[in-house]
Amino acid sequence: MNKYILSKKLYRNELATFYSFLIGFLIALAVGSLILFIQEKNPFDVFSLMLKLSIGSVNSLSNSLNKAIPLILAGLGISIINSVKLWNIGAEGQIFMGAIALNFVYINTSINNSQIYILLLLVSGFLGGAFCIFFPAITKVLFGVNEIITTLLTNYIVFGLTIYLINGAWKDPASLNFPAAAYVSESVYLPTVLGKLSSGFLICILFTLIAYYIKDKSVFGYEMRIAGGSELTAIYAGISAKQKAFFAMLIGGGFAGLAGAIELLSQTHRVSTGISQGFGYTAIIVAAITGMRPIGIFLVGCLFGALTIGGSVIQTIGVSSYIAEIIQATTLFGALVAQFFFSYEILKKDEND
Amino acid sequence: MSSPILEVKGVSKTFGNVKALDSVDFFLQKGIVHGLLGENGAGKSSLMNVLSGIYLPESGTIKIKNQNIQKMNPDIASSFGVGMVHQEFRLIDSFTIKDNLTLSKANIFSDNFEEAYEKYSEIFTLNSSYLTPISELSVGEKQKVEIMKLIFKNSEIMLLDEPTAVLTPQETLQLKESLDKLSQEDDKTIVLITHKLKEIKDFTERIFVMKNGKMVAKNLETEKVTDQELIELMMGEVKTSNFKKDNKKGDIKLEVKDISLTNSEQFKSLDDISFTIQAGEILGVAGVSGNGQVELANVICGIEKEFQGRVLINSQDVSKKGVKSRKKLSLSYIPENRLGVGLAPGVSVLDNSAIKEYFKASYGPHLSKGKMLGYLNDLIKQFAIKAPDVKAEISTLSGGNMQKLLMGRELISNPEVIVAAQPTRGLDVSAVDAIHKLIINQRDKGSAVLLISEDLDELFKLSDRIIVLYEGKVVKEVGIDSATIETIGYAMAGINE
Repeated sequence: MNKYILSKKLYRNELATFYSFLIGFLIALAVGSLILFIQEKNPFDVFSLMLKLSIGSVNSLSNSLNKAIPLILAGLGISIINSVKLWNIGAEGQIFMGAIALNFVYINTSINNSQIYILLLLVSGFLGGAFCIFFPAITKVLFGVNEIITTLLTNYIVFGLTIYLINGAWKDPASLNFPAAAYVSESVYLPTVLGKLSSGFLICILFTLIAYYIKDKSVFGYEMRIAGGSELTAIYAGISAKQKAFFAMLIGGGFAGLAGAIELLSQTHRVSTGISQGFGYTAIIVAAITGMRPIGIFLVGCLFGALTIGGSVIQTIGVSSYIAEIIQATTLFGALVAQFFFSYEILKKDEND
Repeated sequence: MSSPILEVKGVSKTFGNVKALDSVDFFLQKGIVHGLLGENGAGKSSLMNVLSGIYLPESGTIKIKNQNIQKMNPDIASSFGVGMVHQEFRLIDSFTIKDNLTLSKANIFSDNFEEAYEKYSEIFTLNSSYLTPISELSVGEKQKVEIMKLIFKNSEIMLLDEPTAVLTPQETLQLKESLDKLSQEDDKTIVLITHKLKEIKDFTERIFVMKNGKMVAKNLETEKVTDQELIELMMGEVKTSNFKKDNKKGDIKLEVKDISLTNSEQFKSLDDISFTIQAGEILGVAGVSGNGQVELANVICGIEKEFQGRVLINSQDVSKKGVKSRKKLSLSYIPENRLGVGLAPGVSVLDNSAIKEYFKASYGPHLSKGKMLGYLNDLIKQFAIKAPDVKAEISTLSGGNMQKLLMGRELISNPEVIVAAQPTRGLDVSAVDAIHKLIINQRDKGSAVLLISEDLDELFKLSDRIIVLYEGKVVKEVGIDSATIETIGYAMAGINE
C-alpha cells in the first residue's frame, strides 16, 4: 500500500515562480552543456560566445530585443486568455493572421500621412489576430468546444491560407520563384530607436503595462478571475462567465495579431512564411514559465529572444542552433517540475485515511 | 431466527472531527428486503461504504456468512457477494448494456448471457436490446442496468443507495416489484437506503434507523411500526428555542407569487409556490434536500430565469430582473454551496470578499485595490474572521471562517431581504452559534429572512414561521408556536394527516 500522499500546500512562497524559473534555467543549462560536451564542444566557450553575440553590443542586444517582441506580445495574449483558465495554443496562427490582415488593409487603402497609416496597419493586425481566434471563441462559448483543439487547428488553417496567398493572389512577380507577397513601402516601416532596435519594442512595453493593468487592476480582470475560478460563482455574482471568456479570447488573439503586424513592419516587410519562426509556440513556454504574469513574460521574453539570437550565431562555429530551443524547452520542463514541488508537499499517509 | 448473513458490530468511522459512524451494529437476514432510514448525514451512506469495503472503519467487526473479515476492501467485499448501487451511476456511457453487465471479472453469466438477460430484463421490465448503448437509456433504465450489474457479478447482498431519488412514481412501483421478485425467487438480500418514509413502508420487511452516526433502532418489523414512531426515531428530540420570538414585524419585504419551475425533462421542481415575508421575520423552509429548495432560492435571487410566477422585493416586481439589479434592491443570498457558488475556489480571499459589491470599488473600468482592502478589513473586524493572508487562496481559511466571510460579505450592507440556504451545514458548534447570532441580529435590524435548512433544530430555533417543501410544493405552513416536530416531520415525509 502506498504510504505517502501528495498534499497541496496552503501557502505558496511569493517568489515560488521566480525560483522555479531559476531552477528550470539552471537545469536547462546543464542539459545543454551535456549535449555540447557529447559533441566535443566546450560548453563554457559556446555559452560565453552566445552571451557575447546576443547582448554584448548595442547591435546584438537590439537584435535580441527585436526577437523578443513577438514572444512577449503573444505571451501576454496567452496570459490574458488564461485569466479565465482557457488555453490559447493558436498564437502562431494569430501572428500570421495579423500580418495577413495588415497586408490586406495595406493593399486596399492609401494614406499619405505615414504615422497614421502605420497606426491603422497596427490596428488591423490586432483585429486580424482577434478575427483568427473568433471562431474558437464562439464555438467555445456556444457549444463548449475545447479551445485547445480549435486554437491549435486554426494554426494549420491560417498557415495554409498564408501559403495560398503568397503563391497565388498576393505572389510578388519581382520575387522570382520565392513565394512571398510584395514588400510594403518603406514609408510604413517601423522606425528604429536605438541601433537596430525597432520602435515595436516600445509598443511592446506599452502593451505589457496594458496587460498588467487589465489582469491586475481592472474590473474586467477581476471578473475574469472570478469566472475562471468557478463559473457558478460568476453566475451567482451576476457576471456572465461566457461573455468574459469570449472577450478575453478576442483580446488575447489581438495581442498575438499585433505581434505579427510589428514583425511585418519591422523585420520581414512582406507576408511570407518567415513572419513567424514558431514564436507563437515559444510564447506558450514564456507564459507558462512565468505563471502568466505580464511583467515576468516581458523579462523572460527578452531572455528567450537573446537565446534565439545566441543560438543562431553559434552556428558559425559549427554548433546547431537547436541548442537554444533545447534550453528554452528544458527551462519550461524544469520550471514546471520545480513549481510542482513549490505547490505540493509529500506527506506521510495517516493509517486511518 | 437463522443466523444473519451479514453482521456488523461496533463499527466506528471518523472524518476529521466528525463521527460519521459511532459504534454501529447492523445485521441482515438472507432473502429479505431491509430498509435503512435516516436524515441526510445520519451515516447511512458511510455504513454502506464500510460494508462494500470503500471505507476502512477504525474499530468494530464485520462478519459475512459466518466468516470474520479483518481488513475489508472492495475486492473482498465483492468476493463475499456484497454489491452496491451508488447514487451516482457507475456505468460506461459509450458501452452497450451487455458490455456494462459483463464488465466485471466476477461475471457469472458469460456462457448463457442471452438467457440470463432475458430473465432479468423481464423482472426489471427493461424493454431494450442488450446491444443498446447506455447513453440512449433514460435515467430509470440506467438504474435498472445498475442493479442488474450486481446480479451479473453474483452479488447476494445488494446495497441500494437512494435508488428511488431519480425515479418517477411508476418506475418506483416497478422497482418495488422487481426487488420483491429478487428477494423471493433468487433469495437476494437487499438493503434499501432512503429518507422517504412511504417507500420504506412499501418496500421493506425490516427497518433500521440511523441518527447522527448512531443506529437508533434495529430490525423493526415494518408491519408493526407506525409512521410516528419512525419520525420520532429519525428526527429525535428538538431542543426548545433559546431565542426570543417577540421580534417586531413590519412591511412585507419579499413576496413570491405562484412560482412554478419546469426543467428540461418536463419535471416540475417547483409547483405553484406563494408566500410573503415581513421585515423582521424569519421564514424557515423545511424539507428533505432535493425537494425544490435550491431552485426556490435561485428563482428568488435571479439565477434561475425560466420560471412562471412573480417575485416582488419591497413591492417591486423583479421577476424579469438579473442578479445584479436584485442585489441593488438590497437582496442578499447565502447559497447552500459555500465553496463553488458563494466563493470561487482558487481565487484569493480578497477577491472573494468583494464578489457581492465589487462594482462599488470601481471607477469606470478601474478597480481600486485599496478600497477592496479597506472593505475586507471592515469585514474581518466586524465578523471576527481569521484570515492570516488575504492574498492567499480562499481555501486557506477554515470552513467556519469561510462561512463567516460569506455571511459577512452578504450582511454588512444591512440588506432588507436575505435568502440563506443551509448556512451552518458542516460547521462546528461554536461556528454554528456565531452564524445563528448573525441571523437573529439581522432579523432584529428589520431584515426579512428566508432560511432554508434541513436541520430542524435550527429551523425551530430561528424561525417565526415554517413552510415545508415536498416535491416542489408547499405542503405545510405553520407558525412556530403551533409547530411540532411531528407535523413538520410528517409533511417532510410527504404524508398528509
